[in-house]
Amino acid sequence: MGSLTPADAQVDGGFFATKTEAFINWGRKNSLWPMPLGLSCCGIELMAMLGPKFDLARFGAEAARFSPRQCDLLIIAGTMTWKMAQAVRLTYDQMPDPKWVIAMGVCSSSGGMYDSYAVVQGADSILPVDVYVPGCPPRPDAVIDALLKLQSRIEREHPLKRVFGDFSGPEGDEGTGEQTHQPNFGLGTSHLDAHPHTPSHVNEENKQR
Amino acid sequence: MTTTHTFEYKPGEPPADARGEYDDDPIHGEVMQLNMGPQHPATHGVLQLQLELDGELMRNINAVVGFLHRGKEKTCESLGWAKFFPHTDRLDYVQPLMNNVGYALALEQLAGIEVPERGQVIRVLLMEVSRIASHLIYLGTTGIDLGAVTMFFNTFKEREKIYNVLDAYTGHRMNNTYVRIGGVYSDVDTSVEGMLREFLQQFEAQVDEFESLLTSNRIWYDRNRNVGVITQEQAMAWSLTGPNMRGTGIEWDLRKTQPYSGYEDYDFEVPVGTIGDCYDRYLVRVEEMRQSTKIALQALDRLADSRGADVLAEDRRYILPPRQLVQSSMEELIHQFKIVTDLRLPRGEAYFGIESSKGELGFLVASDGTSDPLRCHIRAPGLMNVQIIPLLAEGRLFSDMVALIGSLDFVMGEVDR
Amino acid sequence: MSSTVTPAGTPAVDTEAIAAALEGITTKWITTPDGIPTVELPVERVHEALTRLKTNAEFEFCTLVTAIDHFPASPRFQVIWQLLSLARNQRVRVYARPSDDDAVVATCTDLWPGAAFSERECFDMFGIRFAGHVNLRRLLMPDGYDHHPLRKDFPHQGIQPDRLYREWDAERRGQWESEKDGGSQ
Repeated sequence: MGSLTPADAQVDGGFFATKTEAFINWGRKNSLWPMPLGLSCCGIELMAMLGPKFDLARFGAEAARFSPRQCDLLIIAGTMTWKMAQAVRLTYDQMPDPKWVIAMGVCSSSGGMYDSYAVVQGADSILPVDVYVPGCPPRPDAVIDALLKLQSRIEREHPLKRVFGDFSGPEGDEGTGEQTHQPNFGLGTSHLDAHPHTPSHVNEENKQR
Repeated sequence: MTTTHTFEYKPGEPPADARGEYDDDPIHGEVMQLNMGPQHPATHGVLQLQLELDGELMRNINAVVGFLHRGKEKTCESLGWAKFFPHTDRLDYVQPLMNNVGYALALEQLAGIEVPERGQVIRVLLMEVSRIASHLIYLGTTGIDLGAVTMFFNTFKEREKIYNVLDAYTGHRMNNTYVRIGGVYSDVDTSVEGMLREFLQQFEAQVDEFESLLTSNRIWYDRNRNVGVITQEQAMAWSLTGPNMRGTGIEWDLRKTQPYSGYEDYDFEVPVGTIGDCYDRYLVRVEEMRQSTKIALQALDRLADSRGADVLAEDRRYILPPRQLVQSSMEELIHQFKIVTDLRLPRGEAYFGIESSKGELGFLVASDGTSDPLRCHIRAPGLMNVQIIPLLAEGRLFSDMVALIGSLDFVMGEVDR
Repeated sequence: MSSTVTPAGTPAVDTEAIAAALEGITTKWITTPDGIPTVELPVERVHEALTRLKTNAEFEFCTLVTAIDHFPASPRFQVIWQLLSLARNQRVRVYARPSDDDAVVATCTDLWPGAAFSERECFDMFGIRFAGHVNLRRLLMPDGYDHHPLRKDFPHQGIQPDRLYREWDAERRGQWESEKDGGSQ
């Protein structure tokens, strides 16, 4: 069995840490409280998703609170204009950690069909986005699919890293680290879209048995 | 115990305590500046309302719009007439097909094209279904804002049925872009007709159910009665149209007074309110849903009579030829090429106003004869609906603001364009 | 069964009331495909004409106030008012062309308060000023924005990065940089 401190930690912190992390991740992913930032047409599909047919409550994301202080998932649903960008960034900043962002629809992913003077060409110009959902508007099923992808990504996070430092596995902290809050500056999203890294402690445990 | 003060609309004035209004009232206290910011559940889109709260009364409301200004009018000038259709969907995005039809009618007027009758009937059908969808959003969102959460689920359940039909017919739930210059993209087949008929036949019973939840509900009545009263003179002065104007008692509906797309042949009534408060507007919209069902059923009967007719006009200057012809005939190929790359409308200006669910939605299109549009101005009824918020909210309780915003029923997509 | 698209406005265009109301003002009548009587007026007489149309010819409803930019033709701006008479079920359209360098037109918010937002939008999008408007600020673009987007010499994709966005962006980037270096997020 491993211990908690980094000094004598096994790969990825050992049994207790990984189980705690798994528990924390399980809790977080199944209780994502969305902050619906319904800006335009995608907002209507967002409402439909919270409605009876596509029921987002099945996935634990029922409590769509409209105060950013009480939410952890920001769904940017609609076109973000430069005038609105400040308000969106403020909303994002007000959300407590941990927080995730889904850019719903092509307008928030990349500016959509509006290559005009007033539209931000993608929400990732001003804040880090975790999942992009194409569509104009995307079907609610597509957004639920995005939520499930986000949930599988949350499973792979390491929330204890902040407390106990970096459990450097063979690949370091590349890709599966704690969330980075750096904005994209339009440089591409590869650093946010990390390849899934199978925790190697699983293999270790299997070998030990 | 609320004292309503005489309203004097003085935009740009300094706040009430800076004006020295409370200097002789030492225990009055300060007014609180409140920002119902662009991100807010009850502003129905990205509208910012800056107001001062004098206790629970609102003063000096300033409505800031433009948070969804996407530059649509400029986009039309660079895209071209035909490629702008998807952008019109996203104007008032709760009733996309209605905006499509309005834009197409303006272009057809400029170009002098006549839409075949079956195309007109399908347009009327799509427009009335869109009107129902829009009023369902009004009911659902205003209901949930005022606390009647069940209304949200009920109305979205009905909207899902409309989405099913539109999905089967147009291929998309929302933002369908199914209207073209000269008609509709393709014909309605019998399965879609069946789905629509099934939806419409059960819809009246659903409206009765909604009314049973709200109309004689004490809370709904108290929150809406005598809130946001608009007089007839105010409605005319502030350019209000649609249910906001009809709620005051003015009987003006473009479908009756300046009919288009064959509306003069349909049998329907126009509901009109009495005192022009939120409750009257609610009743007007609910009755409009019933009348829309009636019109849509009549349109379905006409569709049954005219099976096989054209739904799209034939005018090789503006309307794409059928695919089989394009692939077999050189001339049609050239026509298609020219229409796609270089669609020109005759020089001139034309305005067409239709009765959308929010009011008079008008398109002023100006062409200089080249393929680049000179101007496409969208006369959005929502802009006028937002403009009147400071007038109606002044001196009222803050909780009336939510009822007001819901009952004025604007969509920021068309307000900001 | 009708199979024609009925143009807006009454089919037989009755311009007597409009002509009577505009008596004395040099007008130029323009025919448009939509059948709405359209007149072009000298810009200094527009307010008087609109007042007369409202009081004498019962055009008590103002549908829209907008403009067209004809750059590089001169005069470039063409301001359009469109009125509606409910009593006579008729529309009328009024044009005026203010001067290029100092485009000022009289406001009509004293006649129709509902034109306030439309005039603000004209100012925002074209730079046409409405003399007498109590609150002539930008409506759709942010307050400190420098340009007038619907002018023909303004590019569709905008002039990026504009001063306002550059300032806000720089302020935000500074904040992000300090977050990255030092503090916890």
